[in-house]
Amino acid sequence: MLLEVRDLQVEFRTRDGVAHAVNGVSYRVDAGETLAVLGESGSGKSVTAQAVMGILDMPPGRITGGEILFQGQDLLRLKEEERRRIRGAGMAMIFQDALSALNPVISVGDQLGEMFVVHRGMSKKDARAKAVELMERVRIPAAAQRVRDYPHQFSGGMRQRIMIAMALALEPALVIADEPTTALDVTVQAQVMDLLAELQREYRMGLILITHDLGVVADVADRIAVMYAGKIVESAPVHDIYKAPAHPYTRGLLDSIPRLDQKGQELYAIKGLPPNLTDIPPGCSFHPRCPMAQDVCRTGEPPLYEVSEVRGSACHFWRECLHDRDQ
Amino acid sequence: MTATSEPILEVDGLVKHYPLTQGVLFRKQVGAVKAVDGVDFTLHRGETLGIVGESGCGKSTVAKMLCNLERPTAGSIRFKGEDITRLSGRALKAVRRNIQMVFQDPYTSLNPRMTVGDIVGEPYDIHPEVAPRGDRRRRVQELLDVVGLNPEYINRYPHQFSGGQRQRIGIARGLALRPEIIVADEPVSALDVSVQAQVINLLDRLQSEFELSYVFIAHDLSIVRHISDRVGVMYLGRIVEIGRDAEIYDHPTHPYTQALLSAVPVPDPEAREHRERIILTGDVPSPTDIPSGCRFRTRCWKAQERCAREVPALAVPAAFRDVSGPAAHDSACHFAAEGQMAAARDEDGNGPG
Repeated sequence: MLLEVRDLQVEFRTRDGVAHAVNGVSYRVDAGETLAVLGESGSGKSVTAQAVMGILDMPPGRITGGEILFQGQDLLRLKEEERRRIRGAGMAMIFQDALSALNPVISVGDQLGEMFVVHRGMSKKDARAKAVELMERVRIPAAAQRVRDYPHQFSGGMRQRIMIAMALALEPALVIADEPTTALDVTVQAQVMDLLAELQREYRMGLILITHDLGVVADVADRIAVMYAGKIVESAPVHDIYKAPAHPYTRGLLDSIPRLDQKGQELYAIKGLPPNLTDIPPGCSFHPRCPMAQDVCRTGEPPLYEVSEVRGSACHFWRECLHDRDQ
Repeated sequence: MTATSEPILEVDGLVKHYPLTQGVLFRKQVGAVKAVDGVDFTLHRGETLGIVGESGCGKSTVAKMLCNLERPTAGSIRFKGEDITRLSGRALKAVRRNIQMVFQDPYTSLNPRMTVGDIVGEPYDIHPEVAPRGDRRRRVQELLDVVGLNPEYINRYPHQFSGGQRQRIGIARGLALRPEIIVADEPVSALDVSVQAQVINLLDRLQSEFELSYVFIAHDLSIVRHISDRVGVMYLGRIVEIGRDAEIYDHPTHPYTQALLSAVPVPDPEAREHRERIILTGDVPSPTDIPSGCRFRTRCWKAQERCAREVPALAVPAAFRDVSGPAAHDSACHFAAEGQMAAARDEDGNGPG
């Protein structure tokens, strides 16, 4: 096992009270596997990733419970210096907005090379050669000339390639990609996702793909964890979820995608709004928006029921939910 | 909605170039950003025309010109036969009332220091003839109700609302003057998936309720297909293909449209293995330096010598001129042809849409 997150809890102190951003999240990722974490804004998907990566802003954030086991080691018990060594070499992150994630006043070659100088103790000259090699690896044309260029001189897709190159520089065992293609156009998105998938296969990395795009997930993921209000509400292999979701929230998301045979009809829409994290509804946090909600949902918090060996759903009525789809 | 109804908006040869200058004292023009470089289309009454394209293709600039927020460099925009690009003063004001805009970002398009009532009612300050002063509050509350917001929220400020609710406020403001046309520039792309559907349904309902015509600009191809009667695909300042939604999505004949459609991730993991994807190489050229002939040729796998010499016209391609069928629609390509993807998509009947 590469990474296992166990019962992670994160909260933020805000002026309006304590925001419960992550409320007992558990997931695991194996080498060579792609786990997609799907959720809307405020679902806690990025906060979980930041906690794993060790880049959560604390304060206002606070990890109040849980374990993050990376290659058997609980990261939350490590000293900052030890974590820093893991970051970059053991795990790396690709951010959504490459323009703000890259330093605008340092050439991309120096930023890429820095990884080798800091972690591998290489000379500047060797590091530069490595940077060119990496840029070629992510198929940036004329890499040897462009290594001296600054981030603003690259297009959005090229910048995202540089981010990928930087994340993969030290061949980490785990890569977390937080909405890596959301800021890109579809044709460029296809290029970048293809590249990422290819490199992942080659290095046999574990990949956590954080996204809200059900299309991208269907294209690349092995397993999916759906998050809502700081919890995983459904976790399953990718094929199972699209065939028959076992949670009404997942079903709502899938049904709200416009489909050909529904043109001219009203789109299915999940009613209401995601909850305020300082005031999460009791019982099942999805119950105020759920078409299947019963009395028990208002009081009893559903555990992650075992739907099958590889699948879980945090809905009291997961059987009915699965069954609905079969009809 | 039928395409046979009368045209309400006719756009002809629309061009917007932003000059690039050099020098401080003696500014001379050294070039131009050709944001929009010859766009023609017609919008019919009660119809929704979708415009899709990637960032930088000029779709937002077209939207701004339709609403008279930008003056075109050349070309005409005729609203019910009258060229609105030449109007000024009172006549322009009257036309503006009829063409309203809904913006992309509900976080920056609402003034944070104004109450919802002031925001939605502000159009009445500019066009007082629409609603007498004493009646405005009631009208604003009515509008809030129409877009699905509690009319009692009239004294609240934008930050007290979620993104989806803010977009409803923006839509209420767009409706205030009872326009005939609404230009919506990426109205749902800043919203969460579950909220997007709510706003799309609202726009759909308002269209039949108020007999609106929409120009709906977006980069999400499946949403555009859902809401549009006709769709135009833009590339580098021009429409390269336009037709009814099924013609564009199921029978695209322009290589760019084909590549664009094939790149859209399909929410179906079963399709992963047998999908045929066209992955374009390279980036979109700079709008300051547009390729000669066909502007897509630098990324096109079909490009030949002719493509560098001749600009392809946006018309039904010669190969389809004598046949009737969904492939016979306007496409600006010398070598327009239906791709294999059309056949594949007909089989499973479930394309990116």
